[in-house]
Amino acid sequence: MTDATTTGAAPAKLVIERVSKRFPMKGGREILAIEEASFTVEENEICVILGPSGCGKSTVLRMIAGLETPTTGALRLDGSAIAGPDRERGMVFQAYTSFDWLSVRGNVEYGMRINGVPKDERRERAQRYIDLVHLAGFEDAYPAQLSGGMKQRVAIARTLANDPALLLMDEPFGALDAETRWHMQELLVAIAEAANTTTVMVTHDIEEAIFLGDRIVFMSAHPGRVHRIITPEFKKGRRYASKEAVLDLPGYSALEKEIMGLMREQGGKDQH
Amino acid sequence: MSDTKRPPARRRWLELRKPVSRTQAILSGILIWTLFFAVWEGVSLAGLVNDLLVPAPHEVLATLGDMLANRGLVSDILISVWRVVFSFSIACAVAIPLGIAMGAFPSVEAVFNPFVSAWRYLPAPSFIPILLMWFGTGETPKIALLIIGVIFFLITLIMDHTRQVRAELVETGLTLGAGRWTIVRTIIFPAVMPNILTAMRQMLAVTWTYLVIAEIVASTTGIGAMMMRARRFLHTDEIMAGIIVIGILGLGFDILFRMLHRWLFPYTQERGS
Repeated sequence: MTDATTTGAAPAKLVIERVSKRFPMKGGREILAIEEASFTVEENEICVILGPSGCGKSTVLRMIAGLETPTTGALRLDGSAIAGPDRERGMVFQAYTSFDWLSVRGNVEYGMRINGVPKDERRERAQRYIDLVHLAGFEDAYPAQLSGGMKQRVAIARTLANDPALLLMDEPFGALDAETRWHMQELLVAIAEAANTTTVMVTHDIEEAIFLGDRIVFMSAHPGRVHRIITPEFKKGRRYASKEAVLDLPGYSALEKEIMGLMREQGGKDQH
Repeated sequence: MSDTKRPPARRRWLELRKPVSRTQAILSGILIWTLFFAVWEGVSLAGLVNDLLVPAPHEVLATLGDMLANRGLVSDILISVWRVVFSFSIACAVAIPLGIAMGAFPSVEAVFNPFVSAWRYLPAPSFIPILLMWFGTGETPKIALLIIGVIFFLITLIMDHTRQVRAELVETGLTLGAGRWTIVRTIIFPAVMPNILTAMRQMLAVTWTYLVIAEIVASTTGIGAMMMRARRFLHTDEIMAGIIVIGILGLGFDILFRMLHRWLFPYTQERGS
């Protein structure tokens, strides 16, 4: 694998350098979940980690969040080593994580409240992100009254309102129905444009990866390795507001088939 | 719009797993109780049972009214309620913080759980003789019995509920910049509170059970003691009045806790209900 830590002049925003992760198993043995994974994420990029189940993509994301520690290797954000979770790297999970006892506004203000942002500023910033995720009018609603897609929008607004350097998402739309899912994908593009976020997202959905990813880190399983880093060249460095626009581009099908081939080849070794 | 009328679907009384309407639920509930008292009344009137051992329900109710109005039952009720509320408050004051700490921090659980779970297997009434030896016959042994009877179950229930607060909620807090104590205070505590209130409701019912045991065994005041006095004079109607009072009090506290739950945690109600 090439050393991608120094591409030209400016170092990348996020650097993952030869990261391995072993988990202890029963009987003193260990399982190698991730072996020597390396990749970088640039400022304002949407980086999608894609791969078959068992490739350790969520573990990589959790290490970026600081929720897991690598056995060997290094992770750096803006040049400083990642040691434990903090507000610089906000995470959105697949499972709903709305705080049921707080209103939508209370949820979005939560991070700012515990980090001591003054009340007026909190209100104002929360409203900005509530508007951004199209939840205006639902400020006083409680999560139990919201649909799954709305709950995930609350989670995204809550993370962004806390002003993290990185937005991390672990299959955030995995529990949603197909229609809500592509609305959310399009919304995410709009958010990335409006809020200049740097995003690292895990998915196993190829379509989602190609539509959203400025870059796709494809991982193979057993042990988890970075198999290939794919830049969807056919998008010509652009982002598209609608999913159809991307599906219609020449080159989309070819890449989709190529990745499907990789999925077949690299995954499923221990399935069926 | 089509005008064809479909014949109304015939609703059978026995429908597999179809929910019943609220009216039907209430009427059914009243029906079974009416039936119970009717049979009781009928059996007494017909002279099928010894009137001394099974007085008719209307006699029991008359006695209950008389006891409330003229014979100081109210003070027995008040002292019983006070014992339950006081000892249950003490049990909660210890169990809630300890249970949450045990559920949130495995190191705290490792210290207290072997101790707490062993105590759960010791039947509280078996402590009565020693409590009487230590504390005499005042209020202390009764309060102590009630506390011993519920506190260990309460701690375990609260610990279990706290452990079940989903990991993602805690991890969300961590990646939003919250420290350990902030997470306990602003995520774990509010997340587990509705379940704690439910656990309290269940254990309060158990407290009533121990109250009656304490008052029957070693007391001259309270509803249980009143019932033991009545037994000596073969006043079956008074004993039954006591049972009814305890039942109503238990039900009343249960309803109180349900209302408290709805008032404190309105957000746990589902959409559209």
